Amino acid sequence: MNSIFDMENTTEKIKRGITALLLLLITAVLPAQHYLAEEGKVYFKSDAPLELIEARSTAMRAIIDADKRTFAFSVPISSFEGFNSPLQRVHFNENYLESDRYPAATFSGKIIEKVNFTAPGTYTVRAKGKLTVHGIEQERIIKSELTVSGAALTVRAAFTVLLDEHDITIPKIVYQKIAEEIEVEVEAVFTPE
Amino acid sequence: MKQTYLSTLLLVLLQAGGFAQEPLFAEQPLGKLYRQVKPQVMLEDQEGFIWVGTDRGLFRYDGRQYELFAMPDSLCNNEVTALYENEAGQLWAGFSDGRVFHEQRAGQFVMWTLEEGLPVAPITGLGEGADGQIWMATYGEGLYVHNGRHLYNLNTDDGLPGNDLYTLHVDDAGRAWVGTDGGISICSMQGQSKNIENITTADGLPDEIVRVIQPDGKGRYWIGTYGQGVVRYDPQSASFHTLAEDWPESPVNTILEVSHQEVWVGTDGDGLFRYRFAEERLQPVQHAALGNGKIQDLHFDAEGNLWALHRSEGIYKANRRFELVAETLPHIQAVLQQQDGSLWVGTQEGLFRYDDTRRSFTMVKPENVISLHEGRDGHLYVGTFGNGLYCMDLENGREKHLTAADGLANGSVLDISEQGDTIWLATLGGVYSLRCGFERPGSISAVLQHFDQKSAVGTNFIYTVFPDSKGRVWFGTDGEGLSVLENGKLRNYVQADSVPIQAVYSIAEDQRGHIWFSTARQGVFSFDGEHFTQLSVKEGLRDQVVTSLITDADGHILIAHSSGLDILDPVSRHIIYFDEEAGLQGLDPNLNAVAKGQNRQLWLGWEDRLMRYTALDDTLAIHPRVVIKEVSVFLESVRQKSPATFGASDNNLVFEYVGLWYTSPEKVRYRYKLEGFDLDWIQSGDERAIYSNLPPGSYTFNVSATENESFDQAPIASYAFTIRLPIWRQWWFVLLLLLSVIGLAYLWLRQRDKQKEREALLLREKVESQYEALKSQINPHFLFNSFNTLITIIEENPDLGVVYVEKLSDFYRSILQYREQQLIGLEEELRLVQDYIFLLQQRFGEHLQLQVEVDKPARYYVAPLALQMLVENAVKHNVISRSKPLYISIRVEGNAILVRNNRQAKLTKAPSTGFGLQNIITRYRLLSEQEVQVAQTDHTFEVALPALQNGRSS
Repeated sequence: MNSIFDMENTTEKIKRGITALLLLLITAVLPAQHYLAEEGKVYFKSDAPLELIEARSTAMRAIIDADKRTFAFSVPISSFEGFNSPLQRVHFNENYLESDRYPAATFSGKIIEKVNFTAPGTYTVRAKGKLTVHGIEQERIIKSELTVSGAALTVRAAFTVLLDEHDITIPKIVYQKIAEEIEVEVEAVFTPE
Repeated sequence: MKQTYLSTLLLVLLQAGGFAQEPLFAEQPLGKLYRQVKPQVMLEDQEGFIWVGTDRGLFRYDGRQYELFAMPDSLCNNEVTALYENEAGQLWAGFSDGRVFHEQRAGQFVMWTLEEGLPVAPITGLGEGADGQIWMATYGEGLYVHNGRHLYNLNTDDGLPGNDLYTLHVDDAGRAWVGTDGGISICSMQGQSKNIENITTADGLPDEIVRVIQPDGKGRYWIGTYGQGVVRYDPQSASFHTLAEDWPESPVNTILEVSHQEVWVGTDGDGLFRYRFAEERLQPVQHAALGNGKIQDLHFDAEGNLWALHRSEGIYKANRRFELVAETLPHIQAVLQQQDGSLWVGTQEGLFRYDDTRRSFTMVKPENVISLHEGRDGHLYVGTFGNGLYCMDLENGREKHLTAADGLANGSVLDISEQGDTIWLATLGGVYSLRCGFERPGSISAVLQHFDQKSAVGTNFIYTVFPDSKGRVWFGTDGEGLSVLENGKLRNYVQADSVPIQAVYSIAEDQRGHIWFSTARQGVFSFDGEHFTQLSVKEGLRDQVVTSLITDADGHILIAHSSGLDILDPVSRHIIYFDEEAGLQGLDPNLNAVAKGQNRQLWLGWEDRLMRYTALDDTLAIHPRVVIKEVSVFLESVRQKSPATFGASDNNLVFEYVGLWYTSPEKVRYRYKLEGFDLDWIQSGDERAIYSNLPPGSYTFNVSATENESFDQAPIASYAFTIRLPIWRQWWFVLLLLLSVIGLAYLWLRQRDKQKEREALLLREKVESQYEALKSQINPHFLFNSFNTLITIIEENPDLGVVYVEKLSDFYRSILQYREQQLIGLEEELRLVQDYIFLLQQRFGEHLQLQVEVDKPARYYVAPLALQMLVENAVKHNVISRSKPLYISIRVEGNAILVRNNRQAKLTKAPSTGFGLQNIITRYRLLSEQEVQVAQTDHTFEVALPALQNGRSS
C-alpha cells in the first residue's frame, strides 16, 4: 500500500482530493438532485502593462445540488496550459501557485438566488462561497449566468482574483509582467447524475 | 363640596393624559402628475434639500416643487426603498429590485457597478461603516457589505436569524444593526471574519420581528417591533424599556425622537402616534389623513418641521413648535396652565377648564375673565373685567371674591402677577399689591400698596404688571408709558430711544435680565438697565402693535400681534415669522392672553384659538439655507466647482439658486451680488440671476436668502469664477508679441548695420582699388614701357603711333570713368582689357595672346578693372618671350568668369604687394555670395570671378 502511495503523482493526488470533496458533498446531499460537470473550462488572463499571459484548463470538475443550492468547483492548477513559454508555465506552477503544495483551486458554497433548475431559461445568479487559490481561502460572491436547457445546466462566470488576497507574491523584476488582478472565466456543462 | 369633587375628578383626568392638540400637518402634494405616487422614504441632505423616495422614483423637494430625478437605467423599477447620504454629501438610493444608484456629481446618478452583481431583493437600508465599508440590507438576501474590493454577504448561513431585513442602522463603531424576523443582529466584518451578535427574545426583546432600529442620540436605541410596539434598548445594561404598554398591535414602520421631548411612531395601519416623555402616554394622532393607515417614514428637519410620509395620503409637514387645541372658544382673554397641568382659559363669557378626555372646555365661572394667575400657594387668581378678583382654593373648594369693598377702586383686573408673597394687580384703577390667604378668617386679604394717577405712574389705567428677577416691578400703563418700582421708588419713562411711548401692553425679561416691553404703536423696546432700544418694523418686526410678549424656555421672545407671531432671539435680534404654518393667519390676539406652560411649553390665546408652543431644544436653522443649484454658461450646465475658470467667450452666465425654508417657502426672498461686477446687492424674488457679456476678470457670485426681509447675518452661498482674458490680452501673449517685435527690430537694425558696413567696406575697397589701379597705371614702368613702345611705333609707323596714343588715352579715360562705379558691364570691361592688351601687344607682339570667349557679354557684370587687374597680374608675374608666349583666356563658364593664363613665373619676381588679387576677392565678397576662386597648378593660374547678372549677384 505504501509503495502505491509513494508512486502516486501529483495529478492523482489532486484527483483523489477532488473526488473526496465531491463525495463529501454527494453524501451530504444524497437524496437530492445534483448535477455534475467533468470537463469544465477555466480560462485566465493576466493583462499586465508589459505582457499578456493567458492559460486555460479543461479539467475543472464541479457539482451543484439543486435542492440545497450548494455547489463545489475544483480545478487542478497543473492542468493549465497555454502561457507564453513552457518556462512560464513552470514558474506558474512552481513559483507562484505552488501547485505541489496547493494542487487545486476550489470554489464551494451556496447560490443566493432561488433558481428553478427544471424550467429552461437563462438566469443570472450569484454564488456565495469560499474561493481557495494558493491555499488561501477567500469568501467571494461570483455572479454567474446559469442556463437550463433540457436536462443540462450550463454555468458561465467571469470574475477577478486579486493576487495579494491569495498570498501570491510576484518578484519585483516580473512585476510589470504580471497583473495584480487576474481575470478568470469559467464555463461548465452539468448533467444530472 | 360639589366643586371640590369636580375639581378632583378633573385633576385625575388631566393627570392621566395630555391634550388633544397637534401640530398642524399640511399636505405637501407632489403635484397633479404624481397623484397616485406612494412615498416611501425621506432624507434631508447636507445642503438642506428634502429627498423623497417613492414607488415612482426619487424626488427632490425645495418647499415649492418636487423635481423627479431619473435613474439612468430604464430597466430600473423606480421603487425607492432606501436612501442614504454619505459624509461627502453623495446620495445613495436603493430600489425594490435590488439596484443601487449613487450620485456621481450633484443630481447625476449612476448605478453601483459591482463584479459580484447587485442583490435582486429589495434594499431596505444603506449605510457607511468603518474604513469606507458600505452596508446594504436586503429583504430576502440578508446583509451585504462592500469593503472597496469585494462584496460580502451575511445571511442565515453566517448566523443571521433571518434573511429578511427590515432596517439597517450603522453605529459609530461602523457596526451594522439590522432588524430581522428573529431579533436584532449587530454585524461587523473585519478582513474576512464576520462577526454577528444576535439580540433575541431570550435577551428580553419583546418581539422577534424587529422593523425599526433608531438611535436616540444618547447611546440607546428605539426598537420598533411587529406586534409589541416600541421599546428602548440600552446596550450598556442590555436592558429593554417598553415605551407604552397599551400598544395597538399594528406593526411599527418608523420611529422619530424629537428634541428629547417626545417620540413619534408611524405604524403600518394605525397611523401616527406620539409619546411625550413628560406625559408618559402614547397618543394617537387625530389628523384626518395621518390618524390611520400606513406611515412609511418620519423626519424632523433642520428648521423644526415634522414630516410624515403616508403610503396613500401623501407627504405631510407641520412645524413642531406649534400645536392648536382642536376645540375653539370665543374671545380668549387669558390662559393659564397650573403646575399640575390643568389648563384654564378666561374668555368674555367665563372661566373654562379644558377637559382632555372629552376634548371640550367646561365652564367653571360665568364671568368676563381677563387675567389668570396661579399663586405660589397653589390658589387660582382670576381677574375679571369689572367684577374684581377671585381667589380660589381648588383643593379645599374655598373661594374669595375681592371687590371694591375690599379696597379695589376698580373691578377690572387686567393682569395678575406675584413677587415674593405679594400679589400684584394691574387694574383700571391703578396698581395694587396685596396678600391673599384663607388663613385669617374675616380678613383674607390686605391691600399693601396702591399706585394710581396721583402717583408717579400718572394714570389709573394699567395694562400689565411685571415683577422681574432683580426685585423690580414694572408697570405698563395706558398713555403714561412705563413705570418701575425699585427699592420703593417709582420711576416713570414716557420716552424710550427718543420715541414717545404711550401705551405699554406687555412686559417680558430675557435671560440676560434685559427688560422687553411692547407698545400700542411703536413696536417693542428693550431696556438693558441704561438704554432703551427700539425694535420696530425697520428692524424686522412685522407689526408695531404688539399685544403680548413672552419668553420661552430657551430665552427667545415670542411677539404676538395680528400679523402672526414673531420669534426673536434677544441677543442677535434675529426674528423668524410664523403665521399660516402656526395656524395664526388673520387672527387678532387679545392683550397678554399668554402663559408659561409645562415642559418648555407656552400657551397663547388667539381670538378663539388656543395654541401650544414648544421650545425645541435642538439647534434649529434660523435662516433659509441657500444653495446654488446650477451654474450655466450659455445655458449649458457647468460641471466645474467653485472656483472655476472660463474662457473669454464663456461670458454669459446664469446662476440658479434656492433658499430652502420649508417652514414657509413663500416668504423666501433673495439678494445677490456679483462681486467684481455689481456695485450693490440686487434684491429679487427670482431663483436665478443672469449675467451676459461679462468682461474678463475675477468674480464671486454671492447670494443669500431670507424669510423675514432682513438679510443681516443671512448665510451666503458663493460661486467664484474667473473669466480669462482673450488670448491677445494674456500677459504671455503680449510679452511674446513684444519680444517678437523687439527681435524683428533688432534683426532689421542688424541687417541694416551690416548693409551699411558692407557699403562702407565696398567703398573703401573701391577707393583702394582705384588707388591701386591709378598707382599701377601711373606706374613709371608702365609709362616708361608705353612711351618706349610709342617711340618705336612712331618711328616705324606714325599712323599706328596715333592709334596707340588714342588707345592709351582711351584706356586711361576708361579707368577714370569706371573707377567710381561699383559694377560695370562685362562688355565695357572687356573693351578696356582689349585696349590694355593692344597697348601691351605693341610691346610683346605675338608673345602675348588674349583669347576672349564670352557669348553675351552684355548679360554679365564685373567689378570695374577686375579683369584688367588680373591681366596686368598675369603680365607682371610671368615670363613673356618668343619661346614662352603668355596665353590669357577670358571665358564664361557656368556662374563664373574665368581668367586663365599659363604659368611661367619670372625668375626675378616682380615687386608685388599681392594687393591686386586680394582687393578683387574682397570686393567680390561684398558683391556676391560666391567667392572668388583661385586655382593654381604648376602650369596654369586661374581666377574664377562670380558672374554677376543684372548688376547684382546671380
